[in-house]
Formats: sequence, C-alpha cells, structure tokens
Amino acid sequence: MTAPVSRQHLGRPGCLRQAMPPRHIIGAFGDGRFWAISALVLTVGVWIIAMKNTLAFVIALLGVIAAFRTLPAQAQSAGPIEVNIPVLVPITGYLSLEGQSQRNGALLAVKNAPAGIRVRAEVTDTGVAPEAAVNALERAAGRGPVTAVAASMLGTQMLAMLPVAKDYKLPLITVSGTAEITQMNNPYVFRFFPGDDVTKVAHVRYAVEELGKRRVALIYQTTAYGQSGRRQILEQLGKSGLAPVFEDGLEVQIRDMLPVLSKAKAAGPDVLMIHLHSGPTALLIRQAAALRIGLPIVAGSAMHQPPTADLLGPGELRGVCAEANASPVSGGSPGIERFVQQYRQEFGMEPDGFALGQYDGIMMVLDAIAKGARTAEDVRRALSTMRYEGLAMSYRSDGTGNMAHSAVIMCFDGSSRTPRIVKRYDNITGALSN
Amino acid sequence: MLTLQLLLNGLALGAAYALCALGFVLILNATGAVNFAQGDMVTAGGFAAVALATVWPVPGVVLLPAVIVLTAVLGLVLSAVAYFPLKSRPPVAVFISTIALGIIFQNTANVVFGPEPRAAPPLLGGGTLRLGEIVIGSQSLAIVAVAAALIVAQYLLFARTQLGRHMRATAQDRDMAEALGVRVNAMIALTFALATALAGAAGLLLANVFFVTPTDGMNYILKAYIAATIGGWGRIAGAVLGAMLIALFEVIFPALPLLVPLPAGAAWVFSQTVATIVLYLALLAILFWRPQGLLGESARRRA
Repeated sequence: MTAPVSRQHLGRPGCLRQAMPPRHIIGAFGDGRFWAISALVLTVGVWIIAMKNTLAFVIALLGVIAAFRTLPAQAQSAGPIEVNIPVLVPITGYLSLEGQSQRNGALLAVKNAPAGIRVRAEVTDTGVAPEAAVNALERAAGRGPVTAVAASMLGTQMLAMLPVAKDYKLPLITVSGTAEITQMNNPYVFRFFPGDDVTKVAHVRYAVEELGKRRVALIYQTTAYGQSGRRQILEQLGKSGLAPVFEDGLEVQIRDMLPVLSKAKAAGPDVLMIHLHSGPTALLIRQAAALRIGLPIVAGSAMHQPPTADLLGPGELRGVCAEANASPVSGGSPGIERFVQQYRQEFGMEPDGFALGQYDGIMMVLDAIAKGARTAEDVRRALSTMRYEGLAMSYRSDGTGNMAHSAVIMCFDGSSRTPRIVKRYDNITGALSN
Repeated sequence: MLTLQLLLNGLALGAAYALCALGFVLILNATGAVNFAQGDMVTAGGFAAVALATVWPVPGVVLLPAVIVLTAVLGLVLSAVAYFPLKSRPPVAVFISTIALGIIFQNTANVVFGPEPRAAPPLLGGGTLRLGEIVIGSQSLAIVAVAAALIVAQYLLFARTQLGRHMRATAQDRDMAEALGVRVNAMIALTFALATALAGAAGLLLANVFFVTPTDGMNYILKAYIAATIGGWGRIAGAVLGAMLIALFEVIFPALPLLVPLPAGAAWVFSQTVATIVLYLALLAILFWRPQGLLGESARRRA
C-alpha cells in the first residue's frame, strides 16, 4: 500500500540530537526547491543566449538537459520525498498476533509520516518459515530502491534475513526479542524492542528484588523465542546466586498444562516465572487459576498483549505481572494516549508494546529521512549514531543495533483486564548514557 | 487424587481428538482418500461457536446444534470442491486438494477473525468443581459427556438406520452399492457432512478450554492421522482408541514423576519435550512392528 502523507503527528516529535553529516546537504533542499531555482536560472540563461546565437542556444540547451539528467530523481520535481519501506511480517502462523501488531504499528507510522515524505509501504506476509521471509526480502529488494524494511519479529526469520540484508545493505527495523539477532556483528539490524538481555533483567529483578522471591519455577516455550528468554533468565538468576527449583519447556501446541503445573507446584516454588507465546500464556494462567496454584506469576511480554488478557477473566489475572517494553493501554503520557486512540480508530483493536515499538522504529527512520537521509545507507548511519525520543522510551543503538534499553513491569489487580505499570527499569544496558 | 484429575483431563482431550479422528476415518472409508482439511474443520467449529456467541450469547450446548449444521454444510462444500471433481483421479489428488482447501480456510479465518486466540462459550457454564483435593473443570466433564453422546449417536446412525447402512455399503464397496441402487454420490456427500460436523463439534468443545486460532488445524489433523494409524487404518473404533491413547499419553506421561517413584535425576526424561519425542517414537514402533495398527486395518488402501 502507499500511505497518504499526513501532517498529523503523535505526541512529542522525534528528535535526532546529533547534526546530520555534511554529505546530507542535499537533504536540506529535500523538497527540490534548490534544483528548481537552478533550473530556472539556467533556462533564463538559455533564452538570453538564444536571442544572440543559434549555436550557443543549442549548446546551452544540451547543457540544461545534461544538468537535469544528473539530478536526483526526487530533485527534479518539487513533490514529496518518496521512500520505500516494505513491511515484511508474519501475518499468518503462530506468531500472527504479534506480526499483526508489527504491521499495524508500521502502517500507523507511515500514516503519520512527517510532512513532505511520501512512503510506499507494501505489506508482505512472511508466515513463520525462514525461507519465506528471505524470499520476501529479496523480492522487495528487487523491486527498486528500498530505504528500510520493517522486518519480522520472528527470531528464526530474522536470523535468516540478516545475511541477505547485509548483502543488499538494507536496514531491518524489527521488534524481535531474540538476543542472537544483534550478536552477529551485522550493522543492518535495529531492534526497537528491548532484547531478552533487557527484559529478562526486569523480569528477574522484579521477582527477586520487588517480590522477594527466591524459589523460581520456570516454564518456557521450546521455540527460539522461548529458548533465548530461558537463557537470559537463568543468567540473571545466576547473578543473584539463584537457580530455578523447576524448569520445563513446552511446545506451542501443548494444550493441557496440568502436568507441568503439577510438577512445578510439587517442586515447592514461591514464584512462577513463565516465558511463553500468547495462547500458551493464557492457557497456563487460566489453568493455574483453576488449580488455585496460589503462586504469583511473572510472565513474559506476551501477557502484556490485550488479546491475551481478553482470553482471561479479571479474577484469573489477579496476581499476574508481566514484563514488556511498554503497555500502551495503561496510558502514561499524552502521546501514548493519542497513539492508542488513533490505533483503535485505524484498526479497531487495542495496541500492544510490539505495535508501539515498531511504530517508534519506523518513526525514527522517517525522522532521519526528514532530516536529510535519502538512501538506505544514510538511514543505517543515522540509526547507528542518533538518539531518538520515541513514545515508549528513548532509543539509541548500543553499537550492535539494540535500540531499546528500558522495560516496564505491569500487573493486573484482578478488577479489570487493563494492567497497571508498577515498575520501570530504564537504561538497563547503560547505552543511553554513553 | 492427581491421577484422577489427570485421567479426566486426558479423557476430555481424547474425546475431542476422537471426534476429529472419527470424521477423518469416515471420509477415508467412504472415498479411500485422506481429508487433510479435517483439522481445519475443528477450527471451523471453534470459530463458528465464537461468531455465534457474539450475536447470541448463550451456553455452548445451545450453540452446538447450529455449529453442527454449519460445519456439516462446510463438509458438503468441501466434498463438492475438493473431492467430486477429482474422484476419478488418484487419491493423492484429493489429498492435495484438501490441503489446499485447509490453507484457504486458515487464511480466510485469519482475515475474518484475526490471528489472536479466541475463546468459545463454555458448554454449560465455566468454573471448577472441587471434590476434596481434586479440582475438576466442569467443561472437561461436559466435553466427555457430549463427545460420548455424539460417538454413540454416530454408531446408532450407522448400525440402526437405513441411511447408515447405505453409507456403510458405500464405504465397503462403492460399485456394488451403486449396482444395488444406493445413491453413492449422495452417501459420500453425507459422509463428508457427518465427518465435518463431528469435527465442528470437537471445535466447539475445545475452543472454550484451549482457545482457537486459525492455524490450530494442523495440530488436530496430525493427531487424527496418528490416531487412525495407531488404532488401525480405517477402523472407526481404532480411531477412537488411538485418539484416547494419544491424549492420555500427552497428559499422563509428563506427570509420571508425580505418580510413580522414580530414581533421582530421571525427572528430565518426563519433560514435555521428551514426551513428544516418545509419542512419535511409539508411532514409529507401531508402524514397524504392527503396521496394521492395534485393531487391524480395514481401509482398502493407504493414501
């Protein structure tokens, strides 16, 4: 789809605090005025010459044509800057809920593009197969210049797309939580969702420091997402001198949680820590409530998604907390509240932190373009060096493409399905201070 | 106490799997072809219940007849599109066409209902019954009861009615049945309708406890396929037995450390991941040592 240019912008405008490099001087005339004036001067010159000498007229005319041919395409007209940001996300498959949030966040950012920027944002469903994501990226790259890509949040797809993005030199803007994607020394990945090395710090610190729990039962998904979270949770627990009293991995299609919950309970934990996808998170919490397991639950980011909470009654959610980058439905700032309102109007559903993270990521790309970046390489350079004040948090690369360094803990009080943010963990990695 | 609770959960899950597997075997027997969209008919039943409940918020048991009718109609459409145009082709053509229809259904459901998990209303009312230390989900009891009633109804239809006899005759020998005046195509279409109606009922039963998403079908068809293989390819009783065994294994095996004394350090063997590996190893073992399944094979040929 090609989104119309809108002058509406949500909340505080994004801010690139570092001046753009000198080579972006063309961008200062990004609306083509510089080139239009130059062409006018040349045309008048041709006309004056033509009055004196036909040969001079022909030579000058050829000069004007040659000059125009050397101009950048967008400079030849005074129209908006055209950029291409394909949206390659999993709309189908077991990660389609999160993929839909990604798509919506990206499209809302496109709709709110700064004045003078026209964004072409074609959405492609990558499903859940890595090769589907790679094919989608190659097709997008083959269709003409690409400025940046809103890329799948599925870790296995990102891992497959990264070498291709490096070959084509395309920045991938994602909200994937899989830690490995920014550990491959690839300068073309930018993650606008805190990685597991951030969220799991919040996850563990909240359980250990705030709730004062020491005996952790850990239940995780056996997917790449789940394994990555498990590693980080074990590492963080280790830093506190703790190890889980019970842990087990669940496949996505496991339906009956009674066996795993019974085993977890038998191990005598004082807190249940889970890191599962949306559906399994809701299943486990519902069955834990039915069993009256009597343990506080600190869940992974899937629990912050409104559709996950919608599957459960407020009573079943009592005592459940979760980590996330943000909880838009919990409010927190006028900008976030406007984002939630516009999201509801556009898509008829509640936004989650994935949508907000993807929104912030694409808005940062568009902000870089508004400030002069024109090519994918310009955008990559801008994202690598700049700091951006998004709606969810401040973003800055830590040098490996991790842009988000803060997380929140939200809890349900049992009276509604809207959580309350109870704890913020800002700048966990320290990257924002550098 | 835990054993009883696990058994009930396993029976409830198995009963729903059995409805799906039963429909799978009915179509297999009637046409000789594998209907790979059967799992998607389970999700169709779940989504039908979700959709009906939004306009008519009543307990699932009231919605059940409507869901059965809707999914039966879907079965007629399935037969008209995926079977009859290809019935003279090799069985693999129907196999592929049902896969295609299943994918079309998944994507349609994704567009219409969205990718997020949805919950259908409970059959009678949610909640749990507490008997001492045992917590029993009332939905689990209701699933077992409704599934048992549907399986018995299906048995009575086939064993005690003229229509059932015609359907069985068609399944046993299509040419002979046609020679004797049975309207074979109508019987096959009815078999599709019955099979998908059973799957739809399973969808309603499962969608409250375990939710429903557009892509759940693949999981259910795998279970149905394995159930049919374990029980005996083409055996109706075998499909029910296979489905029960799978569900009980899924629920009981990972909980064994709580039920029987085991040597220290052996608990990891009973993780959910190992349980899945062991299930498929058991399937391979059955294929190797008893390829006809536990109750023997009755289908004319394998797809």
